[in-house]
Amino acid sequence: MSQAAIENRTFTTADTEFDVELRKVSKIYNHEPVVRGIDLTIRRGEFFSILGPSGCGKTTTLRLVAGFETPSSGEVLIRGQSVNRVPPYRRPVNTVFQSYALFSHLTVWENVAFGLRLKKQNKAEVQSQVDQALKLVKMDGFAKRFPTQLSGGQQQRVALARALINRPAVLLLDEPLGALDLKLRKEMQVELSTLHQELGLTFVMVTHDQEEAMSLSDRIAVMNQGNIEQIDSPERIYEHPKTPFVADFIGDTNLFYGKIEGFSANALWLITDNGLKMKAKPSNSGDSLTSGSVVVSVRPEKIRISRSPFEHEANAFEGRLRTVMYLGTHVHYGVELASGDRLTVMQPCLSDDLPGEDTPLYLLWDVNDCLALPMTGQ
Amino acid sequence: MSSTANDGSITGIRSQVSDRRHTAILHHSPNPLSRRQFLQTAIAGSSGLALSGCGWTLAEVRPVQGKTGAANELYIYTWSNYIDADLLREFTAQTGIRVIADTFDANEMMLATLQAGKGAAYSIVYPSDYSVAKMLELKLLKELEESKIAGLENILPKFRASVHDPGNRHHVPISWGTTGLIYNSDKINPPPEDWDYLWKNQEKLSGRITLLNDTREVFGATLRSLGYSYNSTNPNEIREAFEKLKVLKPAIASFTTDAWRDQLLAGDLVMAMGFSIDGVLVAQQNPKIKYVVPKSGTSLWSDAMVIPKNAPNQDAAYAWINYMLQPAVASQVTERLFFATPNKAAFDQLPAPVRNNEALFPPDSILQNSQGIVPLPRAAEALYEKYWTILTSS
Amino acid sequence: MTSPPAPSETSSKSLPQWLEPIALLAPAGIWLGLLLVIPTLLIFQLSLVPGIRPGQVVNPSGLENYLQIFQAIEIKPATATEPAVTSFVYLKVIWRSLSFAIGTTFMCLLLGFPVAYFIAITAPKNWRNLLLVGFVLPLWTSSLLRSYAWITILRPTGVLNSILTAVGLPALNLLNRPPAVYIGMTYSLLPYMVLILYASLEKLDRRLLEAAADLGATPIQAFWKVTVPQVLPGIAAGSLLVFITSIGDFVDPELLGGASSMTLARLIYNQFLGASQNWGFGSALSMIVVLAVSISIALLLKYGDRSSANL
Repeated sequence: MSQAAIENRTFTTADTEFDVELRKVSKIYNHEPVVRGIDLTIRRGEFFSILGPSGCGKTTTLRLVAGFETPSSGEVLIRGQSVNRVPPYRRPVNTVFQSYALFSHLTVWENVAFGLRLKKQNKAEVQSQVDQALKLVKMDGFAKRFPTQLSGGQQQRVALARALINRPAVLLLDEPLGALDLKLRKEMQVELSTLHQELGLTFVMVTHDQEEAMSLSDRIAVMNQGNIEQIDSPERIYEHPKTPFVADFIGDTNLFYGKIEGFSANALWLITDNGLKMKAKPSNSGDSLTSGSVVVSVRPEKIRISRSPFEHEANAFEGRLRTVMYLGTHVHYGVELASGDRLTVMQPCLSDDLPGEDTPLYLLWDVNDCLALPMTGQ
Repeated sequence: MSSTANDGSITGIRSQVSDRRHTAILHHSPNPLSRRQFLQTAIAGSSGLALSGCGWTLAEVRPVQGKTGAANELYIYTWSNYIDADLLREFTAQTGIRVIADTFDANEMMLATLQAGKGAAYSIVYPSDYSVAKMLELKLLKELEESKIAGLENILPKFRASVHDPGNRHHVPISWGTTGLIYNSDKINPPPEDWDYLWKNQEKLSGRITLLNDTREVFGATLRSLGYSYNSTNPNEIREAFEKLKVLKPAIASFTTDAWRDQLLAGDLVMAMGFSIDGVLVAQQNPKIKYVVPKSGTSLWSDAMVIPKNAPNQDAAYAWINYMLQPAVASQVTERLFFATPNKAAFDQLPAPVRNNEALFPPDSILQNSQGIVPLPRAAEALYEKYWTILTSS
Repeated sequence: MTSPPAPSETSSKSLPQWLEPIALLAPAGIWLGLLLVIPTLLIFQLSLVPGIRPGQVVNPSGLENYLQIFQAIEIKPATATEPAVTSFVYLKVIWRSLSFAIGTTFMCLLLGFPVAYFIAITAPKNWRNLLLVGFVLPLWTSSLLRSYAWITILRPTGVLNSILTAVGLPALNLLNRPPAVYIGMTYSLLPYMVLILYASLEKLDRRLLEAAADLGATPIQAFWKVTVPQVLPGIAAGSLLVFITSIGDFVDPELLGGASSMTLARLIYNQFLGASQNWGFGSALSMIVVLAVSISIALLLKYGDRSSANL
């Protein structure tokens, strides 16, 4: 990491400087709320992702930061300045568009130089900076080509260079890798990460691919239908989801709906709608789970599976094997319990010996792996 | 090309296949003609065609053998001033022949139409006097058989000795007139007397006057105003006229033969140079508008009926000529349509107001100074043409 | 792995492959050949006969007709003291036609671009067709009627001056002068320009404008650096169409232009239907027009459709 990057990245919790802040920002289209009063802060030097399914409002949020949309209510701040009334060409942000939006009538060189030439810098300056930028994204041999002569991956790199050359405070990326094939996408993810570390800029990325978000980001905001469900680091989002939506959207999980029966030290007892009795650990979502309905999430890889019964007081169940999905590195088992619930269990594939259908199997999971979440209106 | 390694066998075969396909394309190309070849051949062919002296005759009017057309139909090609429904109806009542009339408003257009192929469509055509000469040159006319015509003796003597058609062998005069100034008497007071009025009042009239779109008429009038002959062949005189016209040019709204009518009536123009036949008609429609023949003299024109060489219905054509020569018919049509008749018998039958209309029938004092526009030797005509082109193109 | 059939086998089984394009092109090709190519060749042939008149035999002999265009009409004086009258008449007329055409093209661009921009980009989607139809409606009337309408408006006592004098402004003397020609021609050709520009602007990718703004371009900068270059094929096509049409416009200069508006079209008319009857010279002038139009079309083909060239 470069010295500048380290400096950029240092922050203390006390005087953290936020590069981007959204305060109670809403956006309404044709009487339809697309973004509902969200609060968001992005720290300097972070790689921040906004993750969610199609139509959740993540792209709109990004466009609000870029300046292509004006909030219906609330405030957008960049580096502490309110930018509600500031048009995009005056904001210190640059965007890499999902479709790259390269100027087809200009060469690669001219595309990258576009922002600099608007500021009327002298020719030698521009030349050296463009060469640098192209080298940074490994497109230095392509200066004279036209965008239509480039592949998707190459276009994306040019779009990156074009944005980065202006040294923005924040770089916005709108589903940048969506149009690439899997292998290319993985390569580009590595490159993005490297770039971020080298330059120390604040990156804000919008994506629907949770793997991408998880692997690249310092923090993720999970959005659903215009609301932010949780903002956390990838580990905490995965291990400690605060809402059933987050638990379900990130990774796989088994969800049970039920009613709270009672409490004990650091845990609660519940009865699922299908009559299973479980012991779960309340997630620290801040909502107090005192009584009433609850949703429980158990990750498939956290379930132990055996042909012989377990000795345990809680969360031990018996069922029959219904489906087996062999994926090379691990196996997904579909197990049906007596209650009628279907569970997915994931195990690393260690041997060739897979149980056949209808084999009786025994499942067990730890209390700490059984998260109790409040029932949010989904 | 082809790899020999065993595990490369697939690639080996693949490259062989592509080789063969490549040669297949060379032997059996789906596009045997390249664009360049096509263009080169086409251009070479067309140029050859164009440059070969095929020696065809331009716009030749070919004789159509034995085409007579319907016996009771007569097609005539005339000026709109010369016919109306009553006239045609009378003729049909008298002879049983149906008349279909097409109109034109410029001699050149009439000539071009006839040459472009319609020479065999009409049995009667109404050219102006100098056009008769042109049509003779182009061998478009049939010599008239005087035995078939009745009433020629009524034609005034001066119209029977035409310069354009010696002996009047090919035409029968139907009307005559003058060229003069038509003006709005509300705006112009006292009335203009001569051509010079235009030059003397150029400032006041700027943009509100028009001249005829006719080389010889315009130059003739200007020559007249300088005291020269309408038909001058003297290069100095013609040049003087040209310089004088150049002076007037900025004040002229446009050169037009009849578009001035609406504009004069609307008030956009205050004076126009025009033919008596148009001028008198407009004056009848609107008492404010008056037609005056310039004192120093003007051009005399006459229109005539001719029978084209390839007329489909010659008998009907003669019937028409005889009809138009009838004094009663000629005088009535003069009364209705306001064109001067060269037919003495008809003239005598006219009511007094018409006979005394000086616009229609100018007094002899003016007629003495007036001349018909005659065809001139090639060199002089070319000179007029050149000056006219320079005048109208700048 | 079977090998593809050898060439000789294929050709004997089916009809020769060039038959299909010929069959498809034949109807239009024959039509164009008879009614466009052959008449143009005839005109070209005529233009090579100096001073030919109807009734004479056609024998191509030289380029005098063309040379005449570039020479001045010269009238030598009878006396030595007077200067000769020289005038490069034909070049003047060609220049005038070019000015009318270029001026009209420019005016159509100036007036048509904002309209097309408004309809394509600013107006709400469901209004677009209505606005387009409304703007193109004048095309449904005869062009001659439109010219006469302008005469009515621009006359010294016409509608325009009535309004101006009623408001207290001085009356304008527009009719029978070049401004009236520009007005008439621009009015007639504006709908074509708007339609062509609209087609191009509609395809404009708005995200490019967002990208430009994102990179720091103000709306005006984005317009000149992104919109105009992207729409350039449409601008080229529209301009060339207007130019080609106005070079040959006969009616408007005739009716609206007055005494000093002789154009190439009218000059050609005079050669054929006027008093000079010099069909050879008229043909040469016509070939000049054909040349001008051909150059324009060649330019159009080269620059007009860059988008497909780049793809």
